[in-house]
Amino acid sequence: MSFSEKHDITTKEDWVKLLEDNDLGRTNMNKLIMNYLVTEGFKEAAEKFQQESGVIPSVDLHSLDDRISIRDAIMTGRIQEATALINQLHPELLDNDRHLYFHLQQLHLIELIRNNRIEEALAFAQSHLSEAGEEDPSVLAELERTVALLAFEEPLTCPFGDLLAPSHRQKVASEVNAAILKMEHQEATAPKISTLLKLILWAQDKLNKKNIKYPKLTDLAAATIEEPK
Amino acid sequence: MQKLRYLELLKINNESQKLNVESTRSYIDDLYSQDPSKCLSSIICIKNSVIGSNRQKESVIAQGIVPRLIYLLRDQKTKVTVRIETAVTLGSLAKGTDDHVELLVNSGTIQILLDLLEEDDPRLIDACLCCLRTLLHHSSAADVRYNIKHFQKLLTFAGPSESLQRQSCVASILNSVCRSPAEQNLLCSVGAHSILAPLLATQNHSVRISVVECLATMSFNNTGVAGEIINTFCKDTKLPNYLETLTSRDQPVDMQLGAAKCLTNLHRAGAIPAYDPIVTYRTLPCLVRLCQVEHSEVHRAAAANTLANLTEVDSNLQQIAAISNQLVSALVNLLNCPSVAARGAAFRAFASLGANDEDIRKRIIDTKCLMDRVVSGLGDENKEIRLAAVRCLHSLSRSVQQLRTTFQDHSVWHPLMALLTDNPSTELLTAASSALCNLLLEFSPAKEPMIQQGVVQLLATITSQPDPSLRLNGVWALMNLAFQAEQRLKSQILTTLGTDQIFRLLADPDTKVLMKTLGLLRNLVSPRTHTDTMMALHGPQVMQGVVLVLEGPHSPEVKEQALCILGNIADGERARDHIMSNEDVLKKLIDYMTHPAPCLQESAVFCINNLARRGEPGAVERQTRLKDLGVVNILHQLLSTTDTILFNRVKAALTQFADCCSS
Repeated sequence: MSFSEKHDITTKEDWVKLLEDNDLGRTNMNKLIMNYLVTEGFKEAAEKFQQESGVIPSVDLHSLDDRISIRDAIMTGRIQEATALINQLHPELLDNDRHLYFHLQQLHLIELIRNNRIEEALAFAQSHLSEAGEEDPSVLAELERTVALLAFEEPLTCPFGDLLAPSHRQKVASEVNAAILKMEHQEATAPKISTLLKLILWAQDKLNKKNIKYPKLTDLAAATIEEPK
Repeated sequence: MQKLRYLELLKINNESQKLNVESTRSYIDDLYSQDPSKCLSSIICIKNSVIGSNRQKESVIAQGIVPRLIYLLRDQKTKVTVRIETAVTLGSLAKGTDDHVELLVNSGTIQILLDLLEEDDPRLIDACLCCLRTLLHHSSAADVRYNIKHFQKLLTFAGPSESLQRQSCVASILNSVCRSPAEQNLLCSVGAHSILAPLLATQNHSVRISVVECLATMSFNNTGVAGEIINTFCKDTKLPNYLETLTSRDQPVDMQLGAAKCLTNLHRAGAIPAYDPIVTYRTLPCLVRLCQVEHSEVHRAAAANTLANLTEVDSNLQQIAAISNQLVSALVNLLNCPSVAARGAAFRAFASLGANDEDIRKRIIDTKCLMDRVVSGLGDENKEIRLAAVRCLHSLSRSVQQLRTTFQDHSVWHPLMALLTDNPSTELLTAASSALCNLLLEFSPAKEPMIQQGVVQLLATITSQPDPSLRLNGVWALMNLAFQAEQRLKSQILTTLGTDQIFRLLADPDTKVLMKTLGLLRNLVSPRTHTDTMMALHGPQVMQGVVLVLEGPHSPEVKEQALCILGNIADGERARDHIMSNEDVLKKLIDYMTHPAPCLQESAVFCINNLARRGEPGAVERQTRLKDLGVVNILHQLLSTTDTILFNRVKAALTQFADCCSS
């Protein structure tokens, strides 16, 4: 096969045919899906998927329960409960990762402010959060942003309102999830499939920059492939 | 403005601290309750409050709960759940400040935890192992006695079927407790290396890194243990070859560093030769690569330290390192980093690179502002930096050319003298006095100003230090100073040192000190132009010293030095009377002519030759006296020797007696 022939795949049909010829195999695909479900902590889906596909999950599904209940507690604003659960599961985690600990404490303060428990919030900030600022100057800015919420009549609409959005809880929950996975000696704390998707986008980006014609994957969710343009 | 006010409130003050104690008081009271469930919920509350917060740890410790925690932990009648939570809580307190660790250690926690490993509950064991790992990692707990049983017990938790956490804990604990050859040998004798080595094949990085660190510590400066370790296998591969694969770029940096450190220690302990490709082409390049700017400061500092250790002795490794991948500029960059670890490591690496090779030294010194860094390092406020800078200076001072140029330009003797007179530690004094030895060589321009600054007195003090390496450096530097020195300086050295001190040094248990002291005496009474004056002033003391050594239970090498001094004295016109008038010394001299050690025979004959030299005032009388003592007969007998040097000396001596014999 000459060099030019190698680059002959210029039509969508050829490309799709090539993809089909190089079948990854259903088992490998299933493993990827199971990896995603387990890493993200979707226990029920993982159980269903195990029944349907027969793929054995890499970890005992019961071990997901702890992570799930911790995530639930954080997402519903029960931060002290979440902290206690983390301490029970991995007692060394929050002592080793003081920044993560600070984020949990900060979130608890935010929850107190959200519920308008101002006196309590102040007392908590004094007794528990000022320490973090003393030890690590870099968290001081984060701390100031949080305490600033107290200064506004309507915190939700203030410039620091993003802290009160559900996405902030989500962020802390993911951080905790990743830290626990790391603690449990799982080398990858992100699902493998997300790495693969990033790889596709990166490769296409490289091709675009070089103005090379190729069948482009335009919609990741639906796996739509366009004719080369 | 309002925001500021709230921030102001955050400032910790005594009020809020007190408030804090008040609020924790109630659940702490329950810790002393006889009701197990109350006690359990109390300890869980305490645990959740202290994890993550040093201030909370401080607070509960201040309320005196540690003795109670220790009681609960030890008491086998306490519910096991309570004991587990207690171990976890102690483990958290151990992650607090140095003071907290010290308190726990002083309360005997380590011993108690070790004893608890004999119990059955796996969760209790887990908690104890974690707590032990933390405590031992953060303290230099000295007075715990580890015996073979402790090590054997710990190793049972590192078996292939144990959890990753346990394996990692055990490797880390053993690494921390391995502080002296005694522990290294003990660990080796219970087979720690062969239990740990297979763990390198696990997929988990934290376990593997703990294991390589532990193996590195076990083999540090220990030839026996290193020899055992290289013959250990992991997955049918010999350990050095397995470690080699762990130095690859695809491994995490900590892993590469750990493996390179382990291979370095194995090499320095004599288990892997310097020319082995694993050392030359794997370990060395790996460390050089990790010193480069793209890595974090912590990693670069660790890499530079290990590199310093790897290249400390072997010239070939020094040369390869010096031409590798811009290492010198990477190290200079490290020297400009803020942390003490980084700067100290850079100085140490420079010291090793320049240890033997003049070209490398020149390249190092020619590097921009390196000498300024060394000089400012000598006056740094941190003692680690001062020590590392002095070691670097010592290495660079081996260059004759640099002594006369760069060192002079920077007046390095100035900060060095300041260091030496500022009550330095033994370690610093050892390094600084080693550098002094070179700076006081006779061609060094630093010599004069240092004499003005009172270096003789300083060195005299160093010769009476308890540490033998310090005494050696002191005498050595004085010996260098006395070499071809002016009469005035020689007298000053003798007077400052004092007769008593010279005799003490001549009776020193360390042979090297004794040899250098004899070298000093020899430099003091030579060359010929000074011999008479020096002997006129200090003759009896010098003779007494020489006799002391000749009569002592010393090796021929030592006695040879003493005989050489007699040879120098015998060269002085009036000085030789000190020998001729001393029947005892003469008899000894004649005895040595027939001593079994050739070197002593040679020196004795040389001395006789000087005494009998023709044409000098009183030669005839001396020759007659020597002849009466049977010297000529012995010389004739010695003519039959097969030793060429001795034969030539004997012939030379006999020609002095030619007239005397024919008459």
